[in-house]
Amino acid sequence: MSCQTIYPFVAIVGQEQMKLSLYLNLINPTLSGVLIRGEKGTAKSTAVRALADILPMIEVVKDCPFQLAPGDGLNLCRECFHSDCRERRITGGPVEALQRHIKVVELPVGATEDRVVGTMDLEYAIRKGEKRIEPGLLAAAHRGILYVDEVNLLDDHVVDVLLDAAAMGVSTIEREGISFSHPSRFVLVGTMNPEEGELRPQLLDRFGLSVRVEGIADRESRVTVMERRVAFDEFPETFTGRWKGQSRELVERIEVARQLYPEVVIDREELFTIADFCLDVGVDGHRGDIIMMKAAKTLAAFDNRKKVQKADVEAAAELALPHRMRRQPLMEIGDNVKKIKGMGR
Amino acid sequence: MNIKTLYPFPAIVGQEELKLSLILNAINPGTGGVLIRGEKGTAKSTAVRSLASLLPEIEVVAGCLFGLNPEETAVVGRCEGCCLCGRQGGTVRRPVRVVTLPLNATEDRLAGGIDFEKTTRDGKRTVQPGLLAKAHRGILYVDEVNLLDDHLVDVMLEASASGENRIEREGVSLSHPARFILVGTMNPEEGDLRPQLLDRFGLCVEVKAEIDREMRVTTMEQRESFDAAPATFIERFAAETQELAQRIEKARRFLPKVQMPGRLRALISELCTEARVAGHRADLIIEQAARALAAFSERLEVEDEDITRVAQLALRHRQREPGPPPPPPEEKQHDDHDHSHDEEPPEEESEQEENPNQDEQPDDQEQPPPESKPEQDPGDTGSSGGTPDESKEPTKPANPDAKEKVFEVGATFKVKPFNASKDRVFRRGSGRRSRSRISGMQGRYVKSTMPRGGKDVALDATLRAAAPYQRHRQSDCAIAIRPEDIREKVRERRIGNFLLFVVDASGSMGARGRMTATKGAIMSLLLDAYQKRDKVAMISFNKTEARLNLPPTSSIDMAARLLAEMPVGGRTPLNAALVKVDEVLRGQLVRDPTSRPIVVLITDGRSNVAIADGKPIDECLELARRLSREERVRFILVDTEEQGLIRFGLAVKIAEALKARYFQTAELKADTLIDLIKE
Repeated sequence: MSCQTIYPFVAIVGQEQMKLSLYLNLINPTLSGVLIRGEKGTAKSTAVRALADILPMIEVVKDCPFQLAPGDGLNLCRECFHSDCRERRITGGPVEALQRHIKVVELPVGATEDRVVGTMDLEYAIRKGEKRIEPGLLAAAHRGILYVDEVNLLDDHVVDVLLDAAAMGVSTIEREGISFSHPSRFVLVGTMNPEEGELRPQLLDRFGLSVRVEGIADRESRVTVMERRVAFDEFPETFTGRWKGQSRELVERIEVARQLYPEVVIDREELFTIADFCLDVGVDGHRGDIIMMKAAKTLAAFDNRKKVQKADVEAAAELALPHRMRRQPLMEIGDNVKKIKGMGR
Repeated sequence: MNIKTLYPFPAIVGQEELKLSLILNAINPGTGGVLIRGEKGTAKSTAVRSLASLLPEIEVVAGCLFGLNPEETAVVGRCEGCCLCGRQGGTVRRPVRVVTLPLNATEDRLAGGIDFEKTTRDGKRTVQPGLLAKAHRGILYVDEVNLLDDHLVDVMLEASASGENRIEREGVSLSHPARFILVGTMNPEEGDLRPQLLDRFGLCVEVKAEIDREMRVTTMEQRESFDAAPATFIERFAAETQELAQRIEKARRFLPKVQMPGRLRALISELCTEARVAGHRADLIIEQAARALAAFSERLEVEDEDITRVAQLALRHRQREPGPPPPPPEEKQHDDHDHSHDEEPPEEESEQEENPNQDEQPDDQEQPPPESKPEQDPGDTGSSGGTPDESKEPTKPANPDAKEKVFEVGATFKVKPFNASKDRVFRRGSGRRSRSRISGMQGRYVKSTMPRGGKDVALDATLRAAAPYQRHRQSDCAIAIRPEDIREKVRERRIGNFLLFVVDASGSMGARGRMTATKGAIMSLLLDAYQKRDKVAMISFNKTEARLNLPPTSSIDMAARLLAEMPVGGRTPLNAALVKVDEVLRGQLVRDPTSRPIVVLITDGRSNVAIADGKPIDECLELARRLSREERVRFILVDTEEQGLIRFGLAVKIAEALKARYFQTAELKADTLIDLIKE
């Protein structure tokens, strides 16, 4: 994925909700991800891949298999197989740290469990007669984005693993003679085509936000889509070059919002609005409330404001609630929260 | 796990029952653990994990990997053969542990096995204690416990029943105490627990989201300030956490002094009898929990209130519904059981179903509530019959001229294995009936075994098997592996099937107690379905209609109850039933295109009600042929016709038309010892 030119995120036509939900997750990773639902050919996967273009930077310990930040606790390091780094960290010596973009780690639908959670490093075991862990995708995705294309087709036991990790931000390995646990907090981004089946409710709930994408109905925009695609396919470099300026602007805007987020305040009154929203719509548990509040604050930050407004709360409801409304099995995921809310009142 | 990043226990808003049950367990391990059932996002996991910071300290023999206390090591022979602690002597104090058992654990990690590294180095088999050892005298925590693999559940149950864990694997033989408090969380949406496992949990709490606005707002605020600055937030609650921990510690010391007045024991047993619980575990647990509660309240004597408060926690999951009333001898009316299922979830076959509240069209057009769509409400299927296309004369369920009888369920037996055809499709879902995907690399790796000719090598187990011999083998690599070391993976292929039972309830089935035997056969199939974690649905037909009286569900209990109540009498509208089958199957296949439904048709084949004009039996065969075209479905026909001189043999013909496997009731049995149908 790295060497090939990526379609610039900013050049994606329309699909504003989807783009917005991705921005919000970049600004505030505790939103814990987004589920993108929609038909084929609506730039779902393109958008997620194009994210690489606009990812923010984080600081990590060099070569750390668990993507730790220099300031993180040392618990994990004591058992880490990376011996140089371990010694240096434990003795308090200087640790090499570097700035890099957060990673988008793709979890293929056919991935086996040991690749996802990690396993014993067999090569090492046979060569050295010692056991050491080979971290899996969940370790690689820590502090980054875990992307699952066609998430509804994911094998059931892999879903269980994801649930485990997503719940507490910790992945515990107790298999194949290995006993280990490491932090694994990631933004879970999934795309799915609802025609191919629904998600298990438990997994559905782990996605902070959900958006629905549709083909664009506007003729003009459709033509633009075609033009841009052709232009990109012919001369990828030239095309990306043309969008560089806009990409940079977006990156800066996200960075500003990231800085601003901790300062954003929300009135108690708005919190009550959120609670009412959730009670009206009938969401399970409290995750809906919490995510909705976070989304509203993130929206304010993205807008370069320090105070949440009513409009933020309403926009947040549309992102955070559609997939959480209590529903009977097989019921279509609600698309229009506002309508529901109107009925509840 | 780093305690420093855990959400503080006292900062959890509301959920008092949940918190109390965890505290009681922290005070008195005799409380026997807790099962937390509830919807998503209700601080289930958060509460358990943060419990770690409240747990008291215990005394452990220094270096002991099994977490034994000095008294335990004093038992003669206990430490024989184990030299893992290095006999340092002395004891250390450490907090009670919360050990997490992840769903993807393998058996060797749960029970313990050979330590590959040490064994290779020393050439002597060394044990690596498993999670059961780690959890001894502590808490074993399973998130989403209802999704735990059966292999692991079995190991856990065995240890928890005996308080000992025997490691008999990979050439190690060792037994160590494993008494742990089992704490599990589950979301009932994902299926229920096995009854034996359920009973292992001392208490059970149901958690729900708080509906109080104030509390919800507080929850949001606290969570956000925790996420923003965990350390500061934890600091803010440090005093409270500390205080609670001390209170627990104090109660723990206080506990042995708490008295239990005799009259309260009578109260407990009264409560248990009232709730119709099985066994005596509930009584004991209530007593232990009540004492813990008294100790927590710093009282020397248990009071009535303690009992009543903990009794609901201890009885909730053990309560049995009042047994089904003995089936009335005859004249059982239809509508009795039709109505009892009115409240069921809408049947899942209807893909197009929508909540009227969230219909996709944005205009104000009123959608009829789902109840008015006949195919969507199982309770209403009586009026739609098996022929969705034509409107039929209204047939009242209670038809006065057709006599209906309810027969008892006959003896059950072990069923011959049957399953869906093997293919190469990759499936989701869980269950244990059918093997799928021959490539073998699918499914969860749960344990290893001696090779059985497959290619799915369990490398970790192979290495462990080879480890003890490394000092005598020469090789370029650090590890030399010989063919005899090879171990293979045992994987849990998690595919359950969808079983559709189609039961003939016509009058001809009533003759000579055949229905009793048939019900026995169906019940056996249902028990089998339960063990294989299948989904079932049931259609019954008699008089002029076929009814879907059980929409696809994993609740085998419900199917069994329905079966027991199923009345018999009237004609044989087999054709209508086949139409209904088609309807249900289509729904199922749209919903889950990779599923391989199995249809079990139980009938004598004497179809005598046609849908259109023409001979019923011809129509029936035609319908059967059409059904057989769907390659994803397998049919099994259980012929209930008596084996006598005069046989119509219609069922055989239908079976041919359906391309069904044909059984007579007697042949279903795994070992044909008693022939139930022959008289």
